Amino acid sequence: MILPLTHPTAPTLERFLPVPYQVTGIRRETEDTVTFRMRPPGGRPPAFQPGQFNMLYLFGMGEVPISISGVHPRSGDLEHTVRAVGSVTRAMARLGKGNVVGVRGPFGRGWPMEEAKGHDVLIVAGGIGLAPLRPALQHILAHRSEYERVVLLYGARTPADLLYPAELERWRGRLDLQVLVTVDRGDEAWRGHIGVVTTLLPMAERLMDLRKAFILTCGPEIMMHVVARELENRRISPERIFLSLERNMKCAVGFCGHCQFGPAFICRDGPVFPLHRIRHLLEVREF
Amino acid sequence: MSEAAILEALRQHPFTHDIEEAWKEVLAEMARLQTYPPDALLLREGRAADAFFLIVDGLVAIEMFAPGRGALRLQTVGAGEVVGWSWVLPPHRWEFDARALAETTAVVLDAAALRAQMSQDHALAAWILSRLLAVIASRLKATRLQLLDLYALPERRMP
Repeated sequence: MILPLTHPTAPTLERFLPVPYQVTGIRRETEDTVTFRMRPPGGRPPAFQPGQFNMLYLFGMGEVPISISGVHPRSGDLEHTVRAVGSVTRAMARLGKGNVVGVRGPFGRGWPMEEAKGHDVLIVAGGIGLAPLRPALQHILAHRSEYERVVLLYGARTPADLLYPAELERWRGRLDLQVLVTVDRGDEAWRGHIGVVTTLLPMAERLMDLRKAFILTCGPEIMMHVVARELENRRISPERIFLSLERNMKCAVGFCGHCQFGPAFICRDGPVFPLHRIRHLLEVREF
Repeated sequence: MSEAAILEALRQHPFTHDIEEAWKEVLAEMARLQTYPPDALLLREGRAADAFFLIVDGLVAIEMFAPGRGALRLQTVGAGEVVGWSWVLPPHRWEFDARALAETTAVVLDAAALRAQMSQDHALAAWILSRLLAVIASRLKATRLQLLDLYALPERRMP
């Protein structure tokens, strides 16, 4: 199901035509976030790389870029996790089973799953940023012997804002994966860490040598900026730090320029970039 | 708990692992190794700040009691970190509560003895205060990031 890393596919007409996928299931993750399960007419979704995204078209409303957040284990249907923050995503959050969504994709470059083989992997996710990282973690767990130590650090505002709580519990129960979760504000039942996700880095340092690890991070850009700075303060090579960026992708194939980020197009050259390629752009406030 | 066990804990703890061995021995003489059960208070707001905790294992919540709202958890501190700096600053009273969330083991240094030692040994004082400053700076940074609401999405970019 998951392709090895290759160069992005050249744009062809079919990459502009949405395929009507049927919604086969919806799971509410948090108050404003849902995960859709969707199936194409042929029944089998196209292969994708962890970290790639699809353009989801709600007919009559508009099209939005949404990262693929996984494959449903039993049905093989594609999953996308959507936070309702705009007109299209709010309408998507109201969809029901049997509704149809237009899908173009998958697009972009994903996480460096091939390069990370044989290495420790640290995953740092914040808020809805866990969604694009979930396929990477699922891939690692499905090919566990190909990777060394794996640590997931996940931060959210509150316990109610944590995505995939049942899956987090299953991951925590594994002996071959360390999961550390923190929230900004705990409730009375919360017995875990409180503080931003970067406060978990010292714990990750005790579990692996971060300078030899591949580090994948996704979350709001300010969070990734802070994570990247903390990692560089620890003398970790920016070539080992990978971020997934989000901009207003429109064509998704590097033509329209809506998602231009310096010399790169996020949709075609990203959304996943090694830090050393984009650090200078992250520091430019206009971007 | 033997002094040898305390010395070993000081050798392992990130706060003290790289200080001179002679200083570790001085600190070990004024320390005890203590285990707290879940929900035990390590320190309580308003009481004398008479200890400095190096967390060896477990998880501790820094809390503040708010009338009508109960204990509000502000942050957590885990293994390899430290709890408490009010012992450095007059009037040496705790500003917050600290509660074990899980069974927690700490090297507990006698603050009065440590202050007396630091007034005699300025090199040790400079070393401890510089380390403590790094801790305070990282907690301040973490607090600022919490205030930023780091996980909020920039809605203007979302269709």
